[in-house]
Amino acid sequence: MLAIDGLGFRYPGAPQAALDGVSLQARRGGVLGLLGPNGAGKTTLISHLAGLLPVQRGSVTVDGVPLADSRRANPTRIAVAPQEYAFYPMLTVAENLACFAAAGRLSGDRKRDRIAACTAFAQLERFSKVRAENLSGGLKRRLNLAIALLPEPELVLFDEPTVGVDPQSRAFLLDAIRSLATAGAAVIYTSHYMEEIEAIADRVVIIDHGQVLRDGSLAELLSDGPVVVTVRAEGVDAATLRPFGEVEADGAVLRVRLVPGQSAAAVLAAVEAQGVPIEHAEVGRHTLEHLFMSLTKRSLRDD
Amino acid sequence: MLLALIRKELLALGRDIHGMGALFIMPVIFIVVMSLALKNVYDAPRPASLTYAVDARDTGEQAKAYATTWARSHGAPVPLPADWQERLRAGSLKYVLVLEAGLSDELALPSFPTSSRVRLLTEPGLDGNLFNTLKAELAGAAGELKARAALSETDATPPKAGASMADLVTAERHAGSGPRPTAVQHNVPAWLVFGMFFVIASVGGLFVQERQGGTLARLRSLGVPRSTLLASKALPYIGVNLVQAALMLAVGVWAMPLLGGDALSLRGIHWGALLVAVGAVSLAAVGLALVLACAVRSHAQAFAVGPILNVLMAAVGGIMVPTFVMPAVMQKLAAWSPMNWALEALLTVLLRGGDVAATLPHVGRLVAFAALMWLLAVVLFRKSSR
Repeated sequence: MLAIDGLGFRYPGAPQAALDGVSLQARRGGVLGLLGPNGAGKTTLISHLAGLLPVQRGSVTVDGVPLADSRRANPTRIAVAPQEYAFYPMLTVAENLACFAAAGRLSGDRKRDRIAACTAFAQLERFSKVRAENLSGGLKRRLNLAIALLPEPELVLFDEPTVGVDPQSRAFLLDAIRSLATAGAAVIYTSHYMEEIEAIADRVVIIDHGQVLRDGSLAELLSDGPVVVTVRAEGVDAATLRPFGEVEADGAVLRVRLVPGQSAAAVLAAVEAQGVPIEHAEVGRHTLEHLFMSLTKRSLRDD
Repeated sequence: MLLALIRKELLALGRDIHGMGALFIMPVIFIVVMSLALKNVYDAPRPASLTYAVDARDTGEQAKAYATTWARSHGAPVPLPADWQERLRAGSLKYVLVLEAGLSDELALPSFPTSSRVRLLTEPGLDGNLFNTLKAELAGAAGELKARAALSETDATPPKAGASMADLVTAERHAGSGPRPTAVQHNVPAWLVFGMFFVIASVGGLFVQERQGGTLARLRSLGVPRSTLLASKALPYIGVNLVQAALMLAVGVWAMPLLGGDALSLRGIHWGALLVAVGAVSLAAVGLALVLACAVRSHAQAFAVGPILNVLMAAVGGIMVPTFVMPAVMQKLAAWSPMNWALEALLTVLLRGGDVAATLPHVGRLVAFAALMWLLAVVLFRKSSR
């Protein structure tokens, strides 16, 4: 549905481009996880999709139609659920929904139906008359979600939608967002929580310094890395495991990234050969977080 | 869409107690307090009510006649206390007339005096108008006694008892068919202007919140045109300005008499001119409010810049201190203040009974200022909403 091809953007006076040849696609029925450290270019990309920045270089099309033309014809096909609580705290839940429904050009029965549907979807019925400023963090996130869905967009972009919510609200939000994709919408989901991306995304794009570093299905990205054997055993000599691959020791826990040709069974056999009892063992691929950190490096991002 | 956004704006304002207080309660309080405090500002000074004493160092007939004449129009003096200078300094005695030796001779001479024979000593804090009035009255009383003395030396018919040179002059404030000038008549337009311009604090607060909270970006991403967003800000506050005008006029007409002040008189005013003036003031105030709202970057700026600018404009523009008491330089500065144009436009209608044509010089400036502000607001809004 959404195709971004070679998108480049430089803010006036900035020494380097915020986006430098970004290409990605978001399909109906799927969730695209968008990962990147602070300053990677995510916000600039989101601002383009929200129609707040013009395309300087490259192209952004929606079903083959340039984004600007698509937005002109129907500005609510793409919705952005921003990271901020982008609603009016002094208004009630119902008043906020009515305001944004009208801003999205809904009227009459359609407006009433969509407000009712989105209120139910976000399970906000009991809070309709509560001022938004008095809602808990989780309820505020749900109101943010409900507002984004009012015009029934075909593509929804969620910018860190679970920041500051409890595990229950997070689970609810993830289920709700996943159900949107299941119902046929295209979803782009940005988050710093890797486990959320792993739980919800079909495809993952990792960007940094305005460039796409990886783009693929979650399975493809995770299969990129080596097999990791994690062993918990007191008193194992880590040096004896180095022939099997890179060893990372954390107290009694050893993590071995196997080099090609080595197997998990050989690592476990080597530990047992030392006469040390194995308390716990785990074999798997490296996680998305490992991949993300190895691609974007560990240096702090202050911007 | 526009109606929903206007409704949002009004709901937000209605739930902002401080904003409502600044827009409606504060100007009302100013009108009441200032009108009561300045209740007598348009009345002639009343020197007759002041406590005074006479230090008669001349006991001649003419000096006695002078003191008697003065007592007739200013009440009997208190006996001269021994510590009259201390009491004068403390203010418990308002003034002392020192009738110097030689006064009687001077009053009897048919010529202009060449030296001072009457000294007026007042307490340090006596109002300047009263001071000048007393001085003029003393000179007038002396002149009249001299005239009587001179007349008695001729064959002319003696003046009738009670006749006075004061009968030669009558004085009144001319306002055509308009209302009688009172403190209320001046303070209602003054503080109405102040209150109307206070929208610059209210508009900015919510606008900053919308920008910082991402609401503005969300509305833009929903395809709400910038013109609609600006209109949704401006129209409610033009409405607020009209409600303010109605409220302040109502307070002047009905509340002030109940509180012991004069009633605002709308008899004989040109209603069309009042509407034109209020409309022009509102356009200017809301235009300035939009510019500030687009220019400020934080709540701290919005809550500080707006009120400070408002108070400064009020001080310069003749709201807090009438321009006629300002020195020439400040009067010239005031003539450049939009608040002064607004005040003069309303005073033209409410104090001088002016019609639409009479308000046009001030209304024209206000409309030109409003046009400039609205244009600037559009430019700044385009920049800030990107």
